Amino acid sequence: MGIAMAVAVIATMLFLGQIGNIDWTNITQGGYVLQNEAVELIPSIGVSWKVGADALSFPMIWLTAVLIPISMLVEWDAKRGHLFHPLLLVMEGALLGVFVVLDLFVFYVFWELTLIPMFLLILMWGGDDRRYASMKFFIYTFAASVIMLVGILVMYFHTDPISGMGSLTGHHFDLVAMTAQENLIPSEGLRHLVWLMLLIGFATKMPSVPVHTWLPDAHVQAPTAGSMLLAGVMLKMGAYGFLRVAVTVFPESTIEFIPLLIVLGMASLVYGAWVCMGQTNLKRMVAYSSVSHMGLIFLGIATMQPLGIAGALFMMFAHGIISPLLFAVAGAFKHHYHTLEIGSMRGIAHHSPWLAAHMMLGWMASLGLPLLAGFVAEVAIMIAFWMTYGWLVLLPALTLIITAVYYLSSMQRTIFESNDPEKGILPDTMHGEEPRDITWHENAGMLILGAMTVLFGIMPFIFWDMMSDWSSGFTFETLIDAMHSQGWKP
Amino acid sequence: MGESTNEWNLLAPIIPFVLVAPLLYAQGWESVEAAFLIVVIPLLTFPAILVAGQIYNGNETWKNRFKEGGIFGLGALASSLSISLWIVYDYVAGSSHFEMHSVVEPFSWLTFDVIHYDGSQWDVSSGFADIGVGVWLDPVSLMLLFVATFLCFLICWFSLGYMNTDPINEDSNHRFYGEFVLFAIGMFGMVLADNFLWLFIFWEIMGLCSYLLIGFYYWKDSAAAAAKKAFLTTRVGDVFLMVGLLMLYDIYGSLEFSIIFDDPSTGVGGALVNSTDLNWALLMLFIGAVGKSAQFPLHVWLPDAMEGPTPVSALIHAATMVNAGLYLVFRMVPFVDVHVNGVAGLEDFALVVAWIGGITAFMAAAIAFVQNDIKKVLAYSTMSQLAYIFTGLGAGLLFLNLGEYHAGYFVIGASMFHLFNHAMAKGMLFMASGSVIHEVHHAHHHLHHDDHDFDPQDMRNMGGLASKMPITSIAMMFGSMSIIGIPLIGGFWSKEGIIAETWLAYLHKEPLMLGPAILVLATAGMTGFYMTRMWLMTFAGPPKSDVAEHVHEGTPWIKEPLIILTVVTALGGFLLALLGAVDYLGGEKDHLAMHGVVDTLKHAFLPDDNELRAIGWSTILLAAIIGPIMASRVHGGKLAEGVKANPIVGWLVNLSSKFGSQDVSEMANSQLAEALQRRLYFDDLYEWIVANTAIPFASFSAWFDKNIIDGVIKQIESNSVSGSVSVRGITTGSTRDYILMAAVGMLSIFALIWGVSA
Repeated sequence: MGIAMAVAVIATMLFLGQIGNIDWTNITQGGYVLQNEAVELIPSIGVSWKVGADALSFPMIWLTAVLIPISMLVEWDAKRGHLFHPLLLVMEGALLGVFVVLDLFVFYVFWELTLIPMFLLILMWGGDDRRYASMKFFIYTFAASVIMLVGILVMYFHTDPISGMGSLTGHHFDLVAMTAQENLIPSEGLRHLVWLMLLIGFATKMPSVPVHTWLPDAHVQAPTAGSMLLAGVMLKMGAYGFLRVAVTVFPESTIEFIPLLIVLGMASLVYGAWVCMGQTNLKRMVAYSSVSHMGLIFLGIATMQPLGIAGALFMMFAHGIISPLLFAVAGAFKHHYHTLEIGSMRGIAHHSPWLAAHMMLGWMASLGLPLLAGFVAEVAIMIAFWMTYGWLVLLPALTLIITAVYYLSSMQRTIFESNDPEKGILPDTMHGEEPRDITWHENAGMLILGAMTVLFGIMPFIFWDMMSDWSSGFTFETLIDAMHSQGWKP
Repeated sequence: MGESTNEWNLLAPIIPFVLVAPLLYAQGWESVEAAFLIVVIPLLTFPAILVAGQIYNGNETWKNRFKEGGIFGLGALASSLSISLWIVYDYVAGSSHFEMHSVVEPFSWLTFDVIHYDGSQWDVSSGFADIGVGVWLDPVSLMLLFVATFLCFLICWFSLGYMNTDPINEDSNHRFYGEFVLFAIGMFGMVLADNFLWLFIFWEIMGLCSYLLIGFYYWKDSAAAAAKKAFLTTRVGDVFLMVGLLMLYDIYGSLEFSIIFDDPSTGVGGALVNSTDLNWALLMLFIGAVGKSAQFPLHVWLPDAMEGPTPVSALIHAATMVNAGLYLVFRMVPFVDVHVNGVAGLEDFALVVAWIGGITAFMAAAIAFVQNDIKKVLAYSTMSQLAYIFTGLGAGLLFLNLGEYHAGYFVIGASMFHLFNHAMAKGMLFMASGSVIHEVHHAHHHLHHDDHDFDPQDMRNMGGLASKMPITSIAMMFGSMSIIGIPLIGGFWSKEGIIAETWLAYLHKEPLMLGPAILVLATAGMTGFYMTRMWLMTFAGPPKSDVAEHVHEGTPWIKEPLIILTVVTALGGFLLALLGAVDYLGGEKDHLAMHGVVDTLKHAFLPDDNELRAIGWSTILLAAIIGPIMASRVHGGKLAEGVKANPIVGWLVNLSSKFGSQDVSEMANSQLAEALQRRLYFDDLYEWIVANTAIPFASFSAWFDKNIIDGVIKQIESNSVSGSVSVRGITTGSTRDYILMAAVGMLSIFALIWGVSA
């Protein structure tokens, strides 16, 4: 597993080393800053190896490259590490593939490829109910992706031929060319249908209410590193794909379906928060809080303001560093106290001061405390939302109170309150075992995540500037025309 | 422990911190340029304290020499104090100038674009560009900066004695000092912020620290619950505050003071600001202020917040953080000031502010009547005094919106001056109460080692402490006098102005101001009663328990800050009144300058206006004479035989026994007293509402998600399993069937492809 770690760290380093070489000033045009010459993979049906990165994908790539070593670190002592850590590397490859590929065929291949290592992680290292959870996770998201695939195929059959591509079918999977093609699907009804098919695939991944129920089950059973990656990066695939494919290629349909986006976003955000409040399992609660936060991404996009879209992008990133911290904390509870039941213990801060400190930071970051990463995204989305929808903003705003309620209550009933200045009340699952604090490697992983949360909270402009530029470019070049053609106004 | 000498040499490490300001001056810096260091130095110190504390916990040097981080905290706060004194000196003495304010160049924090619909098409909106960070100074922020840095420093000093000598805090004081310094960052940042968003950001940081420090004894159920209650109650306000920010941003295209206040009547793109929109925005901001400053109906958290260590109550819940709401309301002055581009038609908003203030002032004073916990009395007193300031600000906003700008500026200045006086007096009162609690706790610990049911904060266990704790009793006497508004001392100079102007607003402008006017006048008398009651119950009469007999004032590090603050409380109000602080804070003068003593006194006691004279003297009569005498009749009494106190206090104790005595046990058992004991049932009501709406709804949501939404999925799952069992029947084993099926399948695929691509 040392080797796996080394590979991951080298990959991360190589990647981080590239940042300095990128001319980010060009990013304003909304184009791809990094893009290779397409290499033909299956020329007969128009599949090519074409990769690129822009401000939409770059933070996600960065996040993946950073999170993999951290999650390895947190689960440094995983059982059967010689299988566990390589699986995480497979995961890294698949995720990076999803974020860089600009050919929808290859995109779909990577998209499904991410399922396999995660499926195995849950199946082999999961909790008691892992068989059910892993099957549900796989089949649920797979079924949704198949619908998305049908949508992609319909798009494929509407592409105009490019010379040298698709000698057999006369079509191609090149996303850049699809975006550039005027009126890819002429029939409005079919276009909307395709958009909805894509939405089903992406919304299930995000996940959005009502197709979210695979997530809590998968999270509760998954090993800590699996949960961290699932929440940190895999959920972002949904939002990323939605923006990259559905919104970019079909801006008119997006504008047509804005009410649907608002309904889905509000449902996820508000209903998700209420469900959170009713949970008694720590990990389940954190999982539902992911659903709730992902709702904000739909709301940010629905504002149709550069500010709101930049907020959605920053939410993807911020949630990508906060939620792994939350799951690392929840995992540590499982690991050291053998239970996730909120309320089965009290005063844990006595025995695990580091765990309590990380919990405090992560919980505060997730409830949107200023100067921690999540706040920037929240406030940007809210400002944009008020500008477009006015008083409707009260719904998401008041939900912030619910968020605070469930986070604070869960802390109060785990790490605080033992009424003994010396020791806490341990859960029954300890069976007389001596309580202890988290191990050094868990601590190190959480410290890095916590430090990033603070860093990007105080200095959001590190990523915000490029996200904001991208959103402006995207709005001016793509969305405004569509808004005019659809006659959309606030 | 127990030794009464400070080890002054321990303070050596703070010298370099103090030297920061002189060194920068010698380097040719302007004081304003150094302002950001007020926030940055503590910002670097607080993680250092936490990390060092984790590493060196239990180490002897760390514990005895560095006071578990207290020395570093004190050092950082000393440097903030020295820089802020430098700035305050520059402005007050006039070596730096501002017309109305002064801004240090901000840098951009977030940049972005906004598009808008101009009726026919979408375009990039001009005016919206970024949210920056910068420093803003005007008389009120200078005053608050001084209050914050000065009190943070003194209370940190006090904590060296209070926290480090209590065995229960051993090995966790680094947490206390770390959070304490983080709080200081929040407060300094909020005062210096040059735009509403950063004001909000630091506001929330303070909220976090309030949460952490109330829950400092996290293992206590009551402390953990109080911390949560404080955070959630203020969170309700904060959410509305945030909505208010969104609305302001939409109106003005910026949240920076310099841009908004330049011309509050014109919004983004030169559009005229609609008073209805602005009214809503201000109202939303005001709900945030109500939450933070613990005003009705979001007041329930403040009394519970007394679960925190006493220095925390002194600093956060009396002297600094709770002023944030007042500061926010003060920042609304340019919006309503029709004299300089304000928007007319906001009288209703001003009335709301004044009414909330009046109601809270009266209600809190009434509840304070029946409290026996010394800190709870002070907590309700804090609520009540803050409410005075809200009433004053409400009256001021009303005047300004109606164009009466002299009266408006005067009462706004008086309100801000009351903020100063109250912060000094209440910070000191809490420190004094901390001193009492600490020594009572010590004495009890000494006498009954194993008894844990004793409450060292209950005034029914005290009495007669005037002879045992001379410094504390004098300090508390001056503090109480300042809060009551005894003529010439502290709060008198500001409270008088607030009450008088509220009445004038009723008499000359707005009949609906009658409510707040009556309420604040009545509260003046009630303040006289409950503050005197608290002092007498603690210090007068014979000792009420054996513990109280064995108290002595002996803990190091506690007396000095108490003495300093007593001097400031006793003399500061008068001095600043002589210097014309009210006009300075109201923005009518741009520097402080000496008035004649006679003029000032005449203005206060014998104003030309008959109405003012009548109101002024009835206030003095109620607050300084009737209230205290009634309290003396109930709780007054000589010290035990043969015990002597120092002359001032001794005279006061004797005086209190001269008004006869009154038996109030019947009144104490009445339903009204019961209602007051239960805090007028607000806490019960809120708890009932939450328990009967939110919690069942959350459980229902969880059930719904598990059984309905996921239930549908599970249904599909089981159907497909049974479906596949029946489909298995197709597997006939006959080649003919298979070929047929393959053919049908291929045909349908072709049909699909053809249909889609056509």
